[in-house]
Amino acid sequence: MTNQYYEFFCPVKVIAGKAALEHIPYELTGLGAKRPMIVTDKGVRAAGLLDPVIAACEESGLDIISIYDDVPPDSSTGVVKEIAGIYRREKCDSLIAVGGGSAIDTAKAVNILVSEGGDNIAEYSGAGIIKHPLKPFLVVPTTAGTGSEVTSVAVITDTAKSVKLPFTSSFLLPNAAVIDPRMTLTLPPHITAATAMDAMTHATEAFTCMAKNPLSDAYATAAIKKISTSLLKVMDNPKDSDNRLELAQASTMAGIAFSNSMVGLVHALGHATGAICHLPHGMCMSLYLPYVLEYNLETIRAPLGELLLYLEGPEVYATTPASRRAEASISALRKLRDELFKRCKLPRTLKETGSVEEHQLDTIAEMAMDDGSMMFNPKEVTLEDARAVLKRAWA
Amino acid sequence: MLAKRIQPMAFQARRLYVELMFQVMGRALQAVSEIDATVQKEARALPEGFLFEMMVMPDGPRLIVEHIGNGRFHYHSGSAPRPVDLSIQFKHIAHAFLVLSFQEKTAVAFANDRMLVDGDISYAIRMTRILNRLESFILPRLVAKRAVKEYPANLHLPEKLLSAARIYLKVASNFVDTVRT
Repeated sequence: MTNQYYEFFCPVKVIAGKAALEHIPYELTGLGAKRPMIVTDKGVRAAGLLDPVIAACEESGLDIISIYDDVPPDSSTGVVKEIAGIYRREKCDSLIAVGGGSAIDTAKAVNILVSEGGDNIAEYSGAGIIKHPLKPFLVVPTTAGTGSEVTSVAVITDTAKSVKLPFTSSFLLPNAAVIDPRMTLTLPPHITAATAMDAMTHATEAFTCMAKNPLSDAYATAAIKKISTSLLKVMDNPKDSDNRLELAQASTMAGIAFSNSMVGLVHALGHATGAICHLPHGMCMSLYLPYVLEYNLETIRAPLGELLLYLEGPEVYATTPASRRAEASISALRKLRDELFKRCKLPRTLKETGSVEEHQLDTIAEMAMDDGSMMFNPKEVTLEDARAVLKRAWA
Repeated sequence: MLAKRIQPMAFQARRLYVELMFQVMGRALQAVSEIDATVQKEARALPEGFLFEMMVMPDGPRLIVEHIGNGRFHYHSGSAPRPVDLSIQFKHIAHAFLVLSFQEKTAVAFANDRMLVDGDISYAIRMTRILNRLESFILPRLVAKRAVKEYPANLHLPEKLLSAARIYLKVASNFVDTVRT
């Protein structure tokens, strides 16, 4: 008998497809909520993405009581406190996050304050601090990549202390994630590409890292197949709502996979690069993915080889010898990145980003060594190894 | 019938083993921080007075070490002098036994959700690297390979034997000192 053991948890109701937004009033009413507050950012509002959400609610006689549309890209403790104040003043009873990772994380943090009480969100930082279910909470993602709608984590910056505060609790998970193709239809090409590659990385690392398990494997492979099939179609025809929906579902599926089996070195390097060079997360993921897979290759040969089926389809999988499938999977990812570079200049190397200096690589490597994702990378990483991967990713 | 009688003894033996291993590891952490430059370099990044705990939930055996500065650890044989800064908590004594009897690697135990981290995750990663380094020194290579994700390629036999001997000597004298006091 092996020591194999795993845990898998995802209680989020997924509401996906055409006219999914129109289910929001029913879902909220079912949760006993009558006075929802929307948390979003200026970009989402300017793109007109709130209009169908508001219309869907008002048509069913559910008034949106308050809209906070000023969530910054890196949300802070001050913003969370301000939104919680408005929520209480307006006597709201539920939250709807409409946006990307920042808006969703902010709404998760606001939900802690308005449910547990107090004004200082920092008091709830850490794992397992929250012991009770929070207020009714729905998430409407407007990017197809972060998977935040199905993760039990939020990260908020404490501006006074210049530190990022992590919050981890299964109670942070929303009651439902509403995935409607209308919400990602206007996403610009470079953000579409970067966020889809973020989801691709979530799924690939979930499938190849140490905490992989049969349930997260199923979500990861399905997500990879959807992204491989739909991403370039959407890049060529941004108004293709069917394939937009495929990408949005893939993002949620990859989110379910990685929140249950964690991620590895790609994320450790990406987090450090994002913090030091202020590069978007999805771009970092796309950039590092093949280099890290090459580094891990001999440890993950079997699962990586299996991914060829989902990356390239059954014909290519069947005609590739089993001993070459892992390398072929990496080639497939490289080919996808080349196509994305042709279409929207999504960088494939650190040099191509134009935002990273070569002398910063050591600092990135050192910071990556202390990242939590490092624990789950299948191969032990030394500082020299991290430096070597960064050098390969440089140019 | 016999199995029913033996079971409580087996549970008791398992608890005693975990307690003993925590005592050895705590003292060995102090010892390795006194002799190994790599461990000292890793530990220097921890704040002075930083208290690290490894324990079995809810109130089982535990080891507590303090970073007393300059990369050196001090083992606290009793309870912590103040609230700990970082706690790695096994969910059950059975999970601690799996790790401490080298049936499951520390990283695999994390991946399998056998334990929780309460505190700064980056410090937990650093402490895990230190524990791995310690285990690579004090365990025979074949056993160490079962305990750590990857046995360090640059750790050769003479260095390993010399370091292990010095660590075990320090652990033994620490035990004797504890008994005397």
